[in-house]
Amino acid sequence: MSHDALNIEGVKQEPALLKKHAKFFVRFLNLLPARLASHDSTRGTIAFFAVCGLDVLNSLPLLTKEMQKDVIEWIYGGLVTSNPEKQPNCSGFQGSRCVNIISDDEQLQANAKNYQWGHLAMTYTGIGILATLGDDLSRIDRKSIVDGVAAVQRPDGSFSACVDGSENDMRFVFCAAAICHMLDYWGNVDKEKMFEFITSCIRYDNGFSQYLEGEAHGGTTFCALAALELSGQLHRLDVATIENIKRWLIFRQVNGFQGRPNKAVDTCYSFWIGAALRILGAFELIDYEENRAYIMETQDSIVGGFSKWPQSTTDPFHTYFGLCGLSFMNEPGLSAVMPSLNISMRAYNRLKQLHAQWQVESTDDRFVSNNKSASSKLNSDENSTSVTSPLIEAQ
Amino acid sequence: MEQSYESAVGTIQRILGLYFVKCLKGGKMSDSDSDDWSEEWIPYSERNEWADIVPIPQDDGEHPIVAIAYSPKFREVFDYFRAVLAHREKSQRALELTADALRLNPANYTVWQYRRDILRALESDLYEELDYLDEVIRDNAKNYQVWHHRRVIVEMLNDSSKELELTEVALERDNKNYHAWQHRQWAIKTFDLFENELSFVDRLIAEDIRNNSAWNQRFFVLKHFGFTSDVVQREIQYTMNRIRVVKNNESAWNYLGGILKYEDNGTGNCHQEVLSFCEELYTSGVRSPYLLAFLIDLYRDQCLQQSNVTESDVLSRKVFNLCNDMSKKYDIVRRKYWQYIAEQFKENLAEK
Repeated sequence: MSHDALNIEGVKQEPALLKKHAKFFVRFLNLLPARLASHDSTRGTIAFFAVCGLDVLNSLPLLTKEMQKDVIEWIYGGLVTSNPEKQPNCSGFQGSRCVNIISDDEQLQANAKNYQWGHLAMTYTGIGILATLGDDLSRIDRKSIVDGVAAVQRPDGSFSACVDGSENDMRFVFCAAAICHMLDYWGNVDKEKMFEFITSCIRYDNGFSQYLEGEAHGGTTFCALAALELSGQLHRLDVATIENIKRWLIFRQVNGFQGRPNKAVDTCYSFWIGAALRILGAFELIDYEENRAYIMETQDSIVGGFSKWPQSTTDPFHTYFGLCGLSFMNEPGLSAVMPSLNISMRAYNRLKQLHAQWQVESTDDRFVSNNKSASSKLNSDENSTSVTSPLIEAQ
Repeated sequence: MEQSYESAVGTIQRILGLYFVKCLKGGKMSDSDSDDWSEEWIPYSERNEWADIVPIPQDDGEHPIVAIAYSPKFREVFDYFRAVLAHREKSQRALELTADALRLNPANYTVWQYRRDILRALESDLYEELDYLDEVIRDNAKNYQVWHHRRVIVEMLNDSSKELELTEVALERDNKNYHAWQHRQWAIKTFDLFENELSFVDRLIAEDIRNNSAWNQRFFVLKHFGFTSDVVQREIQYTMNRIRVVKNNESAWNYLGGILKYEDNGTGNCHQEVLSFCEELYTSGVRSPYLLAFLIDLYRDQCLQQSNVTESDVLSRKVFNLCNDMSKKYDIVRRKYWQYIAEQFKENLAEK
């Protein structure tokens, strides 16, 4: 493999070995070794990093049409749709099929179903994968999914991952906002409460913490800002607050980025902090060269992939975030990434087309159901413009 | 005959397995289901007390992706787990089975949930569960599900007497473990355990003055007791003393900024004292970016409030000079940011 250094702006730079990274992702999509069995309940997220990673690498064609179809079918296979009487509010995608059983016995199937719930992180990544692969999401009942999201919102405005048995914190606030934004529907999600929770987590040093009074953290700060943007509420932060948050974020740069003050630099924060700065329109204030040089130090030039630290074990998570971090700096060969949804701009634009289509459909529906009234067409037009997502213009 | 052949193969595999585990240990990717418990392993299918259960395979769809090449043990344990769950069996043996499953995959939230349902159904001794969790947390201190389970059990027991010690042990191993701090804060808030927390924090800051988590905990504790002017004054002294020891410590500087906001009107004596402190450090030659950033903010705020033109000019020149020094000498990685701050300040001055 050629190791010719690129010459960008007169500085010799390590090349990003894009083909190797693409092959790295394909390997993970095919089969994981037994030693990764502890990822069994979050296989969906590994699929997300691999599929979206290939998309960022402009390498989705490496997956045959058949393989892409298999991915889509597997994702839909994890879809849970709630049953209002027996299991209300559990709609969404499961992370794994651990309690999906092969059995003809209806009673056993019914019992197992009691433990099959959507999980916000898996629903978010599931929809992300489907959008990335060009699926039209027609098999998703948007209202049912968002009912599931609203059902796991806690009194303090935060969200749990699922109806029972999960902690609640800023990670799932982000997932909730991402799901509603991608489905262009917020239903009974209480955005005001969500805003209150997010802003209550601004810490004395101006980063956001995972929960009230916790330590400010880079990943959490991304989740908070992305959720604000996706819910159309970023403008509610005043200028001084925004400037303070920028300061906290900018100070995370060492060469690459760290997640908290006095912690080690880690490749994934080139995404978390980078995306947060992109959301605030302040990304250009960082030092690109230092950031890129650090990320490249964590590249495995033999088998592909990135790790969190130089000379460490690579994984799909750090590989995806390393590539997104590079994409923010316009690395040649990589496609643009939408910071707050953490998918490619290409996939995001596809989602926007779906949103427009859904709006036409809902307008048509309303027209059909209201067509006794002569003025209904006008009304439905007005309605449909009022539900336009605020983010679409903000992007 | 076949049975003994298989068990002989099994023994060889176990020996080989242990050999590989030894080779891999130290590396992060050591086989999660081979660690230290394989010697006595008897498959469920060979256990008489499980003879009544027909294991149920996972339905992973026709063409699974990111499929895991499960080890035979992993597959079997989860096949039995699925069977137990599908039969809604909540028994002692089912409880033990969940422990095996969780040992193989401690991140499986469904297994944890089912375990809680069993504990409730059996009205098990939850103190035994706490002991079990001590061990699991020791081995999986950065696992969300384990800490969540701990919290639920402590809530069920309504007894938090072991939580400070548990988190202290976890923090001894990693003094910035976010999960341990979160659990500790939760226990302190829920059960009002604030009393001795400040001395704990003092000790941690003494051990590692750059431990940002400990500084955050300090803020958490003092906010609870209330930022009276005495407390603010004392904390400013405390922090300035720590900065004198290590000047380039962002955690202490951030804490100082945070505390200063609690002074009554932001222009009182403490403010003056901190300004003198910063200037004294600057004069003595300290050029830590955190010090300079602090000075930039102080001078900028003063300048924008200053009505006297001459005084205002002196202050604004200081801000521009410091921003320039930052971008050229002391904080080059953030040079574009300091240029941006200078430009913003210029705009603020124009609007003044």
